[in-house]
Amino acid sequence: MNPQIAAAFAVLPRYLGWHVALSASALALGLVIGLGLAVAAMRAPRVRWAAITIASLVQTIPSLALLALFYPLLLAVSSALKPIHIALPALGFLPSLLALTLYSILPILRNTVTGLTGVDTAVTEAADGLGMTPWQKLIRVEAPLAAPVAMAGVRTAAVWTIGAATLSTPVGQTSLGDYIFSGLQTENWVFVLFGCAASAVLAIAVDQLLGLIETGLAKRDLRRIGIGAVALVIGAVAALTPLIGVGEAKDRYVVGAKNFSEQFILAELISDRLHRAGTATEEKQGLGSVVAFRALAANDLDVYVDYSGTLWTNVLHRTDTPPRTVLLAELTRELNSRYGVTVLGSLGFENAYALAMKADTAGRLGIKSLDDLAAHAGELKLGGDLEFLSRPEWAAISSAYGLHFKSQRAFNPTFMYRAIEGGEADVISAFSSDGRIAADRLVTLSDPRSAIPAYDAVVLIAPKRANDARLIGALRPLIGAIPVERMREANLTVDRDADKNTPAEAARTLASAIR
Amino acid sequence: MPSGGIELRALAKRYGAVAAVDGVSLTIPAGQFVALVGPSGSGKTTLLKTINRLVQPDAGHILIEGEDATSLDAPTLRRRIGYVFQGIGLFPHLTVAENIGMVPSLLGWSKVEIAARVTELLALVDLPTDYASRRPAELSGGQQQRVGVARALAARPKVMLMDEPFGALDPVTRDTLGDSYRRLHDLLGLTTVMVTHDMQEALLLAERIVVMSGGRVVADAAPAALMAGHADPEVERLISTPRRQAERVRALMAAGR
Repeated sequence: MNPQIAAAFAVLPRYLGWHVALSASALALGLVIGLGLAVAAMRAPRVRWAAITIASLVQTIPSLALLALFYPLLLAVSSALKPIHIALPALGFLPSLLALTLYSILPILRNTVTGLTGVDTAVTEAADGLGMTPWQKLIRVEAPLAAPVAMAGVRTAAVWTIGAATLSTPVGQTSLGDYIFSGLQTENWVFVLFGCAASAVLAIAVDQLLGLIETGLAKRDLRRIGIGAVALVIGAVAALTPLIGVGEAKDRYVVGAKNFSEQFILAELISDRLHRAGTATEEKQGLGSVVAFRALAANDLDVYVDYSGTLWTNVLHRTDTPPRTVLLAELTRELNSRYGVTVLGSLGFENAYALAMKADTAGRLGIKSLDDLAAHAGELKLGGDLEFLSRPEWAAISSAYGLHFKSQRAFNPTFMYRAIEGGEADVISAFSSDGRIAADRLVTLSDPRSAIPAYDAVVLIAPKRANDARLIGALRPLIGAIPVERMREANLTVDRDADKNTPAEAARTLASAIR
Repeated sequence: MPSGGIELRALAKRYGAVAAVDGVSLTIPAGQFVALVGPSGSGKTTLLKTINRLVQPDAGHILIEGEDATSLDAPTLRRRIGYVFQGIGLFPHLTVAENIGMVPSLLGWSKVEIAARVTELLALVDLPTDYASRRPAELSGGQQQRVGVARALAARPKVMLMDEPFGALDPVTRDTLGDSYRRLHDLLGLTTVMVTHDMQEALLLAERIVVMSGGRVVADAAPAALMAGHADPEVERLISTPRRQAERVRALMAAGR
């Protein structure tokens, strides 16, 4: 078998298990809330109007945004609950569950209300006239008659939920979306397709089984209802089995990664070290830059790698650019005193934000530094990664050098390199440790005015793990152990077009070089 | 008061500015078959529905078998009173047997008791026993209303309330069903209050006719007495049609002899 497909199958039980756990719980919760609201709404038209309007509004929020919004919301709730010692995880299962539940309510609510209000008035009059209580009327008459229509809503909700669950990856919940997000990042199209296909197959299978139950309800055919229900339960149990035990391991370390190849590789490297030290780990990949630090500070992550300059500008909100060692020392002090976060040390390389151009264009225009660039910026098109254009570093560079480009666009990092190759961008925001700079024959421009701080890759440890000797002992050998050439090489093996490595393979190569 | 008697005292029900029932008092002895007639909007259906509290009266009292109906909770009261209406309202997702057995099942009868009662009732309303396992959609309109009557009778009520029960059926079926029900009324010793807009049906089935207009009782008499003539022009107009039709039919029959 193709090694990429084999790699995809290897993680399938865990991804699928979480995907099923997440979408099944969200659907179950959505079912309880949706049906409850529908029953309340049926008796009171005002409640019906309010419930359906609110549910429809929720539906208009893009699902990715809805998932992302629960993160700050839960952080706020969690800090409000701090005085009574209740800590809510703001990352992972809970925010995903809540967002998907909200998402699943509308189709269930709307179809159930339609089903219930569509019951023939003669039938409800008979139910009243025979002496049924409102509850008996609901259970014996209205619910069975509304069931087929309500079930159609449940099917819609199930398909939506299973599809949207792939978007829970950026808030740190493992799902089939991990294939898609990491595949997109590392240009592993086999992974992207595998993730799409797996969630589509899951959605179709669930939809068909629910459809069987729906026909069973409409025809009052207990056999169909039974087969559908039993198949769903067996499927769910089979999918969840690989997760048994995983959720219970208390001393399991949560390793975070932001959304680019180097982060995936380093997270694998850290996990590998921890496995060797005899501990279990869980990875939360594809996190947004600021999300990752907040999650670590809130103890939702135990360890991840960030960059000193990023923390300096985005977390400490500093605009000065002291020398590399001074910055690192002050950062270490400040993060510890403000957030209780330990900066274990630098891995030994810098991954600085830099502007890069094609070597021949730069040569033709005589551009070597950002100062040189300023004179030509008006004729050039800038391409930034998704974060860059809204980061303080960009504000610092553009004001320090007076950069005004002909146009500027944001790209997914992968597509940014395509863009400069295809001429849709002339200048891109690049990372100095990115192997593609050399491979694509790009040059980075120097920063003579020191507008951008230093970006040492640093290992960060969560407050609750500050005195965890086993964790620190396992990771300490990584400090100062990765020169930038080696990191570039590892990044390139993952990012290149042909003969790609998975981040795990690249991490193994790195690890063998360290020992 | 004997078993099954109904007494209405100064009942009133308003819908906004309209007095649907405007201070009606009626005493219906056990075993009587009363027809409530009157033009649309006269309040006859509202009055009927106050008896089993499908409509909650604003004022007045209802005594059933001497007991104040408002002292019971509505579902308990309704399970003691048979109710048949034009819409029939059979439960489409249940079999004929399950429909007929509904009130006994609400009352917690055993399955065996319910099954025996269903068989008994199918025979009583002239339906084959094997109809028990059919669904309402498989029956004709007349058969459905026979099931409706059987369902209303299932828990052996003494009082039957009927709201234009045969109004949606074709004339022949309506006539047959009316006669069958009248026989059941006598056989089971029921007290029946039937709302109808069909004066002829009322005259032929009931032993007492109460005519309502504007929420009030404008006439209350036996069919023969009513046919003899009434002072109220509204009542006179209602009975003129069947009287004229009867005379024409009689003339036709005499000519054909």
